[in-house]
Amino acid sequence: MKFVTTRLVGMVGTLAVISLLTYAVFYLLPADPARLSCGRPCTPDRLAEASAFMGYDKPWFQQYLNFLGGIFTGRHFGSGQAAVDCAAPCFGYSFRLNEPVTQLIGDRAPVTFSIAIGAAVLWLLLGVSAGVAAAVKRGTLIDRSAMVFSTIGVSAPSYLVGLLGILLFGFTLDMVPVGGYVPLTESPVDWLWHLVLPWCVLALLSAAVYARLTRGQMIEVLGEDYIRTARAKGLRERRVIGRHGLRNVLIPVVTVFGLDLGTLLGGAVITEKVFSMQGLGALLIDAVGTVDLPVIVGMTLFAAFLVIFANFVVDLVYGALDPRVSR
Amino acid sequence: MLVDDPRRLLADRWAVAGGVTIVVFLLIAVFAPLLSALEGQDPYTYDLKALADNGAPLGAGGGISAEHWFGVEPMTGRDLFAIVVHGARTSFLVGFAATALSMLIGVLAGITAGYFGGWYDRVLSRIIDVLFGFPWLVFVIAIGAIAPAGFPKQLLIILVIGLFGWPGVARVIRGQTMALKQRTFVVAATALGAGPGHLLRRQYLPNLVSTIIVYTTMTIPGMIGAEAALSFLGVGVPPPTPAWGRTIGEALSWVQTDPMFLVFPGVALFLVTLAFNLFGDGLRDALDPRTAK
Amino acid sequence: MERTTPVIRKTAAVALTALLTVAACGANSSDRKEATEGTQQGGKLSILSAATDINFDPAKSQNLAITTLGLVLRRLTTWDVQPGRPAQVVPDLATDTGKTTDGGKTWTYTLKDGLAYADGSPITTKDIKYGVERSFAPELSGGLGYHKGLLIGGDKYKGPYTGGELASIETPDDKTIVFKLDAAYGDWPWIASMPAFTPVPKAQDDPKTYTQKPVASGPYQVSEYKQGSSVTLTRNPKWDAKTDTVRTAGPDEVVFQLGQDTTVAAQRLIADAGDDKNAFGAGFVPPAQLAQIQSNPSAKQRLVTSDAGALAYLALNTTRGPLKDVKVRQAIEYAVDKKAFQVASGGATGGDIATTLITPGIAGRQAYDLYPAEASGDVTKAKQLLTEAGQTNLALTLLSPNDSDNLAKAQAVQQGLQRAGIKVTIKPADETTVTDTITGDKGDFDLTISSWQPDFPSANGNIQPLFQSSEIGGGGYNLSRYSQPEADKLIESALAETDQAKAQALWAQADKRILQDAPVVPLIYTKNSFLHGSNVRNFFVAAFPAYPNYLKVSLNK
Repeated sequence: MKFVTTRLVGMVGTLAVISLLTYAVFYLLPADPARLSCGRPCTPDRLAEASAFMGYDKPWFQQYLNFLGGIFTGRHFGSGQAAVDCAAPCFGYSFRLNEPVTQLIGDRAPVTFSIAIGAAVLWLLLGVSAGVAAAVKRGTLIDRSAMVFSTIGVSAPSYLVGLLGILLFGFTLDMVPVGGYVPLTESPVDWLWHLVLPWCVLALLSAAVYARLTRGQMIEVLGEDYIRTARAKGLRERRVIGRHGLRNVLIPVVTVFGLDLGTLLGGAVITEKVFSMQGLGALLIDAVGTVDLPVIVGMTLFAAFLVIFANFVVDLVYGALDPRVSR
Repeated sequence: MLVDDPRRLLADRWAVAGGVTIVVFLLIAVFAPLLSALEGQDPYTYDLKALADNGAPLGAGGGISAEHWFGVEPMTGRDLFAIVVHGARTSFLVGFAATALSMLIGVLAGITAGYFGGWYDRVLSRIIDVLFGFPWLVFVIAIGAIAPAGFPKQLLIILVIGLFGWPGVARVIRGQTMALKQRTFVVAATALGAGPGHLLRRQYLPNLVSTIIVYTTMTIPGMIGAEAALSFLGVGVPPPTPAWGRTIGEALSWVQTDPMFLVFPGVALFLVTLAFNLFGDGLRDALDPRTAK
Repeated sequence: MERTTPVIRKTAAVALTALLTVAACGANSSDRKEATEGTQQGGKLSILSAATDINFDPAKSQNLAITTLGLVLRRLTTWDVQPGRPAQVVPDLATDTGKTTDGGKTWTYTLKDGLAYADGSPITTKDIKYGVERSFAPELSGGLGYHKGLLIGGDKYKGPYTGGELASIETPDDKTIVFKLDAAYGDWPWIASMPAFTPVPKAQDDPKTYTQKPVASGPYQVSEYKQGSSVTLTRNPKWDAKTDTVRTAGPDEVVFQLGQDTTVAAQRLIADAGDDKNAFGAGFVPPAQLAQIQSNPSAKQRLVTSDAGALAYLALNTTRGPLKDVKVRQAIEYAVDKKAFQVASGGATGGDIATTLITPGIAGRQAYDLYPAEASGDVTKAKQLLTEAGQTNLALTLLSPNDSDNLAKAQAVQQGLQRAGIKVTIKPADETTVTDTITGDKGDFDLTISSWQPDFPSANGNIQPLFQSSEIGGGGYNLSRYSQPEADKLIESALAETDQAKAQALWAQADKRILQDAPVVPLIYTKNSFLHGSNVRNFFVAAFPAYPNYLKVSLNK
């Protein structure tokens, strides 16, 4: 329990540092976020008004403190009926998109998670089964081709493979749409249809890592004494591998899987550009391009949170599965 | 430990192929100006005569001819062969330098954290957590905009991806250092009163060398990929310095009209990354008896 | 237009700057019915847009009168844009474009009969007054606010939420509205066509949600708004075609597909499959797709290219180091490779080679070439001028947005100057940073490439915003920071001149006078190309503004 508490405190501290750094770095940008909301003609008076309304007239650390305060108490911009409310927990408000950052993330998250989760399931299945097959049939053609394929997968940049996929399956064969996203709630079939290509591309590439990992672990486990004992007892090979082998292999695989899910936002930036989908990655790149500071900070925090949280969960799971890691 | 390598490494055909490819690309990078001079081109000169009126290359395969071996770049008519061979320079320069930087920091941080432990280790581990949590891509974009025009962009990219790239190495080295601490020969040396400087240099470092070598080989393709991804997004090495990632990014919209524009830099980037991965695999197998075949 | 490229944003601004000066065509009120026969009713039109959101709040919008907002919201006056004719200001909700009895200080409008919102309640002048008032609220800043500096008391007023009513707008009854200005202003009819002059019923004004749920007065209403994904417009049953001369309201439904990458959108339109037959792209067709279309007869037919319009130019910051020397700037005029720039812009479909500041099609334009050379430049002459100036080792930076189209153009300029021994370093930055830097007060750059649309048939719009010394910094577009008393004087006298012929002669004189000092290098007169599906009808791009007129587009049955 003490471990959990310390880690939670650490997580919050880490997030605070990351948000502070984000604020400081983006505050130094030469672009004035208020000028973008100033309208035309942008007289100095109007600029000052817009800046004061959005809170950009204060020094950056003051802005940062207001941001932190908003998480607990909510925020309120302007006055009267036209004032903008951002209820607690307020992680900033985008004046460009006229929505609180948390809502924007909520709006866009289905796109990114649709891509990521579908691909993750595929690559986990593909990677682990390829790895197990390679380990069991060690040295055979299956093993060698699986490993060659996985090395290729590790080496190919996702955007290159994605582009080739679009060219081949989208344009030349006209089998799948060349880009865009349809919400699941709108049409499950179209949703699936638009996601097939990105899923396959990401799954093929990421499965490589898992195949290698699984193979290595499996070989190691199969050499352990208890497997030999199990075999000696006359258990069938399938049971030996399924019950005893795979179980022990899955611990490191799950670890890597958790960390991979945590960093999915970084990859989303590129994937969403290639497949022209409007998910969290696209939101982030747009925000950077338009100096939408609240979105940048909110998204940075969210991305960092995912990573740190995944780390935390992995540690917990690891501790539970492997008694050697006790604290 | 290292004595046994060459033979085991040479026995691995894939690793050898990877190594040879790396050497070939290294030579291409070093002699890029010579190679393009041989062709009679350079990566900067426009050749509008090689283009149709609308900016698309004239002729088949994106304008492949005796004059332009890989065809030309749409809209500019610059020689694609020269761009690809010069692009190897950018990739290798950034890849090697950023790897060196992150290995240096990572090894230093990992070995000291593992050795000293205590609050120093805790602070360092926290910093590593922060860095892992950073969406560094966003930062690179922002930092590129803040940096003064005079600051060389290539150096900036090396610094940024190098500085974000060390935590992984540091974690591994820290773990190995902590494991070494328990080993008899280290315990003995400590008992004999060896100072930390001596211990780190004479006892720990030599035992970490193979890990460091393998990690370096495995980090280089990651760094080359990171530079390419940045250039792909338009925030990497600024034009006209050739960079594979940027050319691939530009080829994005031309993929239907002029697919060869994508193929040449794409294949080059893929081959180099693949070569490093194959070589790194072989190296790891050769150095680590557990994964040997 | 939505926020897509800087060109688009600038267009909105310049449209205004230009409009403001055309006093002569002020109040021509003829309520004539347009030739809208041939407009078929029905169907679902899709508009593919790169923007991820559409802001329907009239106070915050910079939309052109003929694009998105015009489908949902009506204003006091609006623009009549038809192919082959100059744009005109025409009445929209009002019966005429404005009456003045005191030479332009007081403007009176009367509403047409039978105007109602989507819920059936009548449109009154009180709502228009309220709509204008709320545009003053700092919470709703971001729109086109030219009226704010013209109305009496506008400089102090803070909007209806905290500041009460604005006394200089009077509504003696529900049909009449009177605007009182600080000084006479002949172009007020154009001002009354801005988004802020849209009626907003006070009872239904929720500033927090108005950007997505505006009260419809035009032929369509927003029926669904999905952030980052799509916006669907369906018919407003209470809109009466008899009261509207500019909107043909062909399709039953209009769907904006948001966040569509321009390349993918163009490729979809080229393929022309399924529902994309009923779609058009809101953004320019990228050069790669222009090339692709040349070999596709079907797509070629569906490509609509405007006349040569916006001037693309290289701005030389005249306050920076060696660029202060006019000889150096003239050397750059010769060194630039305009041919390469044209190719980087998509070749002949991208634009024509430029030599003047006033663009083709503008009354009074005189063609001339102060720096005669091949389209690819005169390197020898450039080198000679540089030697005379004692600048044989020149190194400059070029600030450019970091997308591939803009970088291609930047490189075309870079390699041209390189031939004359001028070393150019490209500094890529995101678009917002570039705009902020080049229009900001510090002016921390040597060179930048920009384009300026002469949206209105007046040379004024070509010259004044770019070269008057009052437009330096502070968001102004005098990017070269060109300050020359003689040129300023010419601009001022041309602005004050009421005789069209005399004014035109003065502008032409200013054009040459300014280019003698070489603050900019005219590169090309750009053309905008748009693509539409095979079922789309009445799709045209007029001379002003060089964007499709959404209000007239219809679908074939």
